[in-house]
Amino acid sequence: MSACRHDWFMCNLRHGFLVVEGCWECGARSSFFSPEPVPPIDEYHEGRHFWSYMGSFQTLKFDLECRACGTRVSLDDVNGLMLSECKDPDCQVGALNNQQGPGSLVYVALCADSTHTMGECVSSGGVEALNQYFNRNIEDLGRRVIVVPCKMCNSVDKCRGTVIVDVGLTDIE
Amino acid sequence: MKISELEGKAGLRALNEYKDREVESVYISDMVSDIITSAKRNSILITLQTHKSLIAAANLVAAAMIVIVKGRIPSDDVVELATRTGIGLFTSDLDTWTFAKKLVQLGLE
Repeated sequence: MSACRHDWFMCNLRHGFLVVEGCWECGARSSFFSPEPVPPIDEYHEGRHFWSYMGSFQTLKFDLECRACGTRVSLDDVNGLMLSECKDPDCQVGALNNQQGPGSLVYVALCADSTHTMGECVSSGGVEALNQYFNRNIEDLGRRVIVVPCKMCNSVDKCRGTVIVDVGLTDIE
Repeated sequence: MKISELEGKAGLRALNEYKDREVESVYISDMVSDIITSAKRNSILITLQTHKSLIAAANLVAAAMIVIVKGRIPSDDVVELATRTGIGLFTSDLDTWTFAKKLVQLGLE
């Protein structure tokens, strides 16, 4: 365990698209980050899945680096952050939401595979660093940001929440 | 300057109940990906956007208040979310540039 009280800052910023795909065979969803200027929309077959393009949103990816000790945490496995509005007491994230007082909000760190069939999700080191980063200067405001991995959701595809992506740009008059 | 003081001096219309905090900086953007990387704690966010993602991002950077320009009004669920975070949500009939000039005149830079 590091003795450093990390002073995180964002680094390695990459702008691109969060591309969401769905498998028409089993209903699973998958997402990936594309740095291309135009997001790919190809359909393809991968193992038991038949992926089709469902949509894409402008977003960014970043890593965190500590000013004090130089530790760098890759957040490559984080495809997005979703502000959870789940209230389902049978879901770990919903139950966590129900315990929070005013000013505390739960954000779900989204990995690429919503089914988690391979057992992988966002790394615990990444989640810990995100929690430290987003809470670094808000204690006196009575606010708290709680970041959890998406494997805590009963079903992240059906979860109620707001994914932080750039939407509404075509609605501006 | 406190949010409440700015509300009166800048002719803002409050859309929610908010925590009255000292504002320290100004950031103008219509992209949440930009807000997350560049807006500062206790800032005023000026934007045309009215969607929930804006509030989710503003909360992560500990913004003090959001001013939606050109008289745009967000939906009730957006206002409710802003209230949960304590972020002041306001609307101004001015456009972004005119409102920004007004802030400079009031001493915020």
